[in-house]
Amino acid sequence: MDGLLVDSVTLGVPGRVLLRDFALRVGAGSVLGVVGPSGSGKTQLLRAIAGLRDVDAGSFSLDGQSRDAMHMPSWRRRVTYVGQRAIMLKGSVRDNLERPLGYAAVAGKLDLPRTEAELSQLRLDVALLTQEARSLSVGEQQRIALMRAASIAPDVLLLDEPTSALDAESVEAVETWLGAQIKAGRSAVIVSHDAAQIERLAAKRVNLKDFMPEAEHAG
Amino acid sequence: MPGSGALPLGYFELGVAALLVLCAGFVSVFFRLKLEQKLAVASLRTVVQLLLVGYVLAWVFRIDSPWVLFGVLGIMTAAAGRAAVARSSRRFAGAELGAFATLVLTGLVTTFTVTGVIIGVQPWYHAQYVIPLLGMVLGNSLTGVSLALDGLLADLDEQRDRVEMELALGASRWEAARDPLRESVRRGMIPILNSMTVVGIVSLPGMMTGQILQGADPLQAVKYQIVVMFMIAAATSLGCMGVTLFVFTRLFNERHQLRAERIEQVRN
Repeated sequence: MDGLLVDSVTLGVPGRVLLRDFALRVGAGSVLGVVGPSGSGKTQLLRAIAGLRDVDAGSFSLDGQSRDAMHMPSWRRRVTYVGQRAIMLKGSVRDNLERPLGYAAVAGKLDLPRTEAELSQLRLDVALLTQEARSLSVGEQQRIALMRAASIAPDVLLLDEPTSALDAESVEAVETWLGAQIKAGRSAVIVSHDAAQIERLAAKRVNLKDFMPEAEHAG
Repeated sequence: MPGSGALPLGYFELGVAALLVLCAGFVSVFFRLKLEQKLAVASLRTVVQLLLVGYVLAWVFRIDSPWVLFGVLGIMTAAAGRAAVARSSRRFAGAELGAFATLVLTGLVTTFTVTGVIIGVQPWYHAQYVIPLLGMVLGNSLTGVSLALDGLLADLDEQRDRVEMELALGASRWEAARDPLRESVRRGMIPILNSMTVVGIVSLPGMMTGQILQGADPLQAVKYQIVVMFMIAAATSLGCMGVTLFVFTRLFNERHQLRAERIEQVRN
């Protein structure tokens, strides 16, 4: 079985079931768009796929390998969640990009020429590398967070509103950058409020409204 | 009188000493701090608690039974465990038990190492040595444990997004929690490091002062104090480490998830 497979997932927050019997499949080199009304569990779904929270039921696998059989950090190295709000660690942008490369499950080295190329691709100044990451604008931080996630070479990127803090030109730059990631064989699950963006990026779409328990539909 | 102990105090002398507290009361009235009532209650508590302890200690020494002794040690440790958690502005289910278990382990191990191995008291659980020493160990290590616990819960609560971000990028729970854990132990150890640094220069420790008042050779008193400081340093650092590891195992699971929802705010 090729790609990311999510099957029969039921998940909720205390006192409320968000999704029932949810399933998705994302093959290598493809993008799946996730839409749904606010509070329908888009973020919780991505966190659940990344194993950052538990589900009430369901199974997850990548290229036929079950998540339960994998060391969770190794799973997350391959199926990587990027939250809506970019979080920068103390230190320079370069420190931030290098941080995950120091984890035992990742273990890599920063490819500087490629990093610089990516920075300009994302309309960021190469001089940012030595700047204090927390002094960057929210939009800059959001793009650095995307680069940081891609630097660990995941198979699947789980992107939660990846361009929410960006102006139109930067949105375009991020979409082009993402296109290159996909062309390189990566796949992505994207949550976005921007229907046009989902239209542009994702060949397949799933609406969480279709998986909400009946009782919630009425309310 | 030299060498035969301090001059005895009667209740009249205690009454005169109470006049000193009135000075504090005067300051409160003068600056309208409205602390008079609290001060009165605190003074009364000091008197009652200490007198009570005096009678209890006298009784325990007279009975001289290991059962009674270990009962007293258990109560002291439980009270310290409660106090360590009570000051915290956040808690989680099992925090009190964890603090208690940590203090039992580190407090008893260090205290009995001192009485049994270093001082060589016969028997190693001789109440006259064990109770005051454990009291000093608990009093100090509970401060450290409480600081470590409070700081760690605050860090994990406030930095849950940061911790989760690192987990999402493939960090193990150890790698993601490393900074808050380290910071927590460091915070807990600062008070004892500070007091070890200034001891003898800024402060004369109570125990040493007491022994000197009793007419003991100052060098002997100093040697005891050194042992006590080292004992407290060991108990505090082990206690901070213990409580930090306990929090870690309670708030991170084997699926490398942060269970931040287990942290509850406490309104003090």
